[in-house]
Amino acid sequence: MVSLQPVSIFRPGAEEEKGETARLSAFVGAIAIGDLIKSTLGPKGMDKILQSMDPHKGIQVTNDGATILKAIGVDNPAAKVLVDISKVQDDEVGDGTTSVTVLACELLREAELLIGQKLHPQTIIAGWRRSSDEAVRALTAAAVDNSSNPEKFREDLMNIARTTLSSKILTQQKDQFSKLAVDAVMRLKGSCNLEAIQIIKKLGGRLSDSYLDEGFLLDKKVGVNQPKRIEKARILIANTAMDADKIKVFGSRVKVDSVAKVAELELAEKEKMKEKVNKILKHNCTVFINRQLIYNYPEQLFADAGVMAIEHADFEGVERLALVTGGEIVSTFDNPEKVKLGYCDLIEEVMIGEDVLLKFSGVALGEACTIVLRGATQQILDEAERSLHDALCVLSQTVKETRIVFGGGCSEMLMAHAVNELASKTPGKEAIAMESFAKALRQLPIIIADNAGFDSAELISQLRAAHAQGQNKAGLEMNEGQVGDMQKLGITESFQVKRQVVLSASEAAEMILRVDDIIRAAPRRRGQDNRPC
Amino acid sequence: MTAKGNQGGSNNMAAFKDKEKPMHVRQSNITAAKSVADAIRTSLGPKGMDKMIQSGNGDVTITNDGATILKQMQVLHPAAKMLVELSKAQDIEAGDGTTTVVVIAGSLLDAASRLLLKGIHPTIISEAFEKAATKSVEILTGMAIPVQLSDRDSLLKSATTSLSSKVVSQHSSLLSPLAVDAVMKVIDPAVAVNVDLRDIKIIKKLGGTVDDTELIDGLCLDAKASGSGPHRMEKAKVGLVQFCISPPKTDMENNVIVSDYAQMDRILREERQYILNIVKQIKKVGCNVLFIQKSILRDALSDLGEHFLGKMKIMVVKDIEREDIEFICKSLGCKPIASLDHFTPEMLGSAELVEEVQLGSGKAVKVTGVAIPGRTVSIVVRGSNKLVLDEAERSIHDALCVIRCLVKKRALIAGGGAPEIEISMRLAEYANTLSGLEQYCFREFAGALEVIPYTLAENAGLHPVSTVTELRHRHSLGEKTAGINVRKGAITNILEENVVQPLLVSTSAITLAAETVRSIMKIDDIVNTH
Repeated sequence: MVSLQPVSIFRPGAEEEKGETARLSAFVGAIAIGDLIKSTLGPKGMDKILQSMDPHKGIQVTNDGATILKAIGVDNPAAKVLVDISKVQDDEVGDGTTSVTVLACELLREAELLIGQKLHPQTIIAGWRRSSDEAVRALTAAAVDNSSNPEKFREDLMNIARTTLSSKILTQQKDQFSKLAVDAVMRLKGSCNLEAIQIIKKLGGRLSDSYLDEGFLLDKKVGVNQPKRIEKARILIANTAMDADKIKVFGSRVKVDSVAKVAELELAEKEKMKEKVNKILKHNCTVFINRQLIYNYPEQLFADAGVMAIEHADFEGVERLALVTGGEIVSTFDNPEKVKLGYCDLIEEVMIGEDVLLKFSGVALGEACTIVLRGATQQILDEAERSLHDALCVLSQTVKETRIVFGGGCSEMLMAHAVNELASKTPGKEAIAMESFAKALRQLPIIIADNAGFDSAELISQLRAAHAQGQNKAGLEMNEGQVGDMQKLGITESFQVKRQVVLSASEAAEMILRVDDIIRAAPRRRGQDNRPC
Repeated sequence: MTAKGNQGGSNNMAAFKDKEKPMHVRQSNITAAKSVADAIRTSLGPKGMDKMIQSGNGDVTITNDGATILKQMQVLHPAAKMLVELSKAQDIEAGDGTTTVVVIAGSLLDAASRLLLKGIHPTIISEAFEKAATKSVEILTGMAIPVQLSDRDSLLKSATTSLSSKVVSQHSSLLSPLAVDAVMKVIDPAVAVNVDLRDIKIIKKLGGTVDDTELIDGLCLDAKASGSGPHRMEKAKVGLVQFCISPPKTDMENNVIVSDYAQMDRILREERQYILNIVKQIKKVGCNVLFIQKSILRDALSDLGEHFLGKMKIMVVKDIEREDIEFICKSLGCKPIASLDHFTPEMLGSAELVEEVQLGSGKAVKVTGVAIPGRTVSIVVRGSNKLVLDEAERSIHDALCVIRCLVKKRALIAGGGAPEIEISMRLAEYANTLSGLEQYCFREFAGALEVIPYTLAENAGLHPVSTVTELRHRHSLGEKTAGINVRKGAITNILEENVVQPLLVSTSAITLAAETVRSIMKIDDIVNTH
């Protein structure tokens, strides 16, 4: 007699979702994520407060898709995939984190309908693959490259920065911040080392009080009695303990039989310190920056030698300082001739808000600069930093890949149009999948219009008609709520970002669509806790 | 393309209708932020009331300072937290007007919620508010009266205005000159563009009354002279040491092995000798006042050392914090000495008199007549109880900040609600030149600013509506400086009453409030994170 009990091949506790159920749970999860961040898209997108469960942690106010997704903990596997692609987008190009998630979500929404019509997932995938190829081809064809004309290229960069910032908190000051960001990126002269751009946030003032400063700012103080201003500084950057060098064996101790000997030992330790300081001074440096503490005695020795000594600089600060001044971080001082010293024209104290900072100007790495952000609340400052970081990422990407495309839903409509054309020429079921791809692309401008509170159906049909008539620069103008020429309005985006959005969104959607079985491994059983409490 | 959308005629411009959840979130944010503003509204102005705050551990604070109240309130709602931050930012930027900025923000949010109900998109409101704030700053700057730092009278007036709302207001004749003098001492009026308030040391001592608060030209330390040495020293040579006068100790662990009694005796003798050596060296250089830095690794000054120093008639002040070293150096013109080898005459600072004074139950060390005075001063605040003392310190800090604002931006405007009502009227006028939704938002912004004179009148027990309308009437007649005279309970030319405030306080209050309101407007969801 065959048992009617189902055969269980998993360990108890493990779960399996099969076929339709698995697909459904994947769709539901992914669509929920998309809907969550949909409202942040576009120039009139809204922000979200991220409130931590821990009441001691502060709150965040943000418009950045990657930041929101990173903060929410998701349990649904498909939702996790979407969170991951937004993270990858953030790492890869820095911007378009919301777009990529929303596009993937819209694709899945379409897929759900298609599957309801009994289309095989593999057919849908085949159709999508052809569509995304076609979309990228159309995007590439429409891309404009102005890199040969420096003036025009700068204008392009400004436009891109403005477009990126227009959806963020900096939108009212976008001209100023675009200029800041473009100036900062242009200083990099093609290298994409965003490390050289330092962002310092100081509470107080207003956003428009923010400024770009050439050189580097360090939030530290000069030791007592040392020069507060040094010109033509030679900087030695070190990571070394400035108390006596101890034997690092645990429990080592000295045994003596009289106090005089202890005094001698103390003196010897001091001598050792002095020797170390002398060794450092032999490097012929005028500024000594240490990551660790400098104690009173060495501080005085440095003061005697007229050397500016800065203690306890944070790790990031030291690394960056080494980068921008062209010095090395050293921890032994035996070979002065081999050590590369950093150099800068002037070190002085500057006051920002209520704090005194050290400013290094005229640094060896001419690309380096600092952006000082001011704002009314910590949340505004944090969000401004994230927005600016996005803009900087996009700009540095654009410097590498100089092609640009038009924003405001223009590129999406263009791609949708191209995909639709192809679909109408394609025989077979794939064509249906391709149409759905085009429809998903068209959702992006619809969401942008919806967020701004305009009549999206009307606007999108106008936009679609414009593209069908060959006006391939038509896009949404969200201040007036009408269709406009994106080239004239200067709403441009980086080609690289857009391409990445289409590619990774369709890849992610495809991956989720292929799933027909979700297996949750049984949680690891904890052994009985036999420890005494 | 269709006609311009926001003319209202075309059909693609449906009124903005929010989805359900974002609307709730926004309303809850506005309600929370407004209730914060309402909580501190009553402390605005010269007749404003104080708040008593009891913290979790039972400590009581009584204060009139907006930033302090909010800091202690420990709000939970995220939007309310943003208002707390706002008042903190105003504290950093201007130092005064921390209540004003929150009250304005509350009123702006109120206006914004009315606009939202009318179906205007939040981003349009946000943009319009930004423009209105910029315009307000323009109007304010136009009203401002430039002031020279040499004009002591004006500086005094603005410090007095700032103090008038505090518990120490009856002492303002003493405290405002004190604040002005303190700031003037630490800056060079000709070139200064900012003041580092850390150059002004405020020491609180219980006992006496606020009247006994004094400004010390020199240095005052919250410490006492220790041991048997003298407690008063004329023609002092001050040494600031960072090494320890105690038995030697190495960085490595050390053991002294004693094998017999004679050896123990010898060790004691050696220890004595060691300390005596240090003390002798100090005496030889001619130092007669010694400040010793606190050490956590070992005794900064052993009993034996204290005894020797006392015998040598050297005054000793110990347990100086490392953070204070720089300030002391700056004030006395001495240099810190980190080892005995460096103990030379040129490292010492000299002063006419160093003395330990009895202040109430505590003691303090005063240094006066410094030979090479640095740009620092100390203020000793006195008060009959801890609460008054704390509040007096905060008030003095506010007054110092007001003077600092004048150093940063040398312009004054009238107080008593005059600038707010003027901005409100001028903005309303300006709004008529605009078209579209912006005009509407400008009007609401203008109306929202009336909250300041309204609250001032309300807190003073006047009839708020009739006072504000009267005020508006006077301003429309061109009396730009007409303001609420709380003392007489009438509308008068407020400049004659010497009620003035720095321009920076008002401008930063409006811009910071507008910025925060804008960022609250843009929020449509609260997401709980793990």
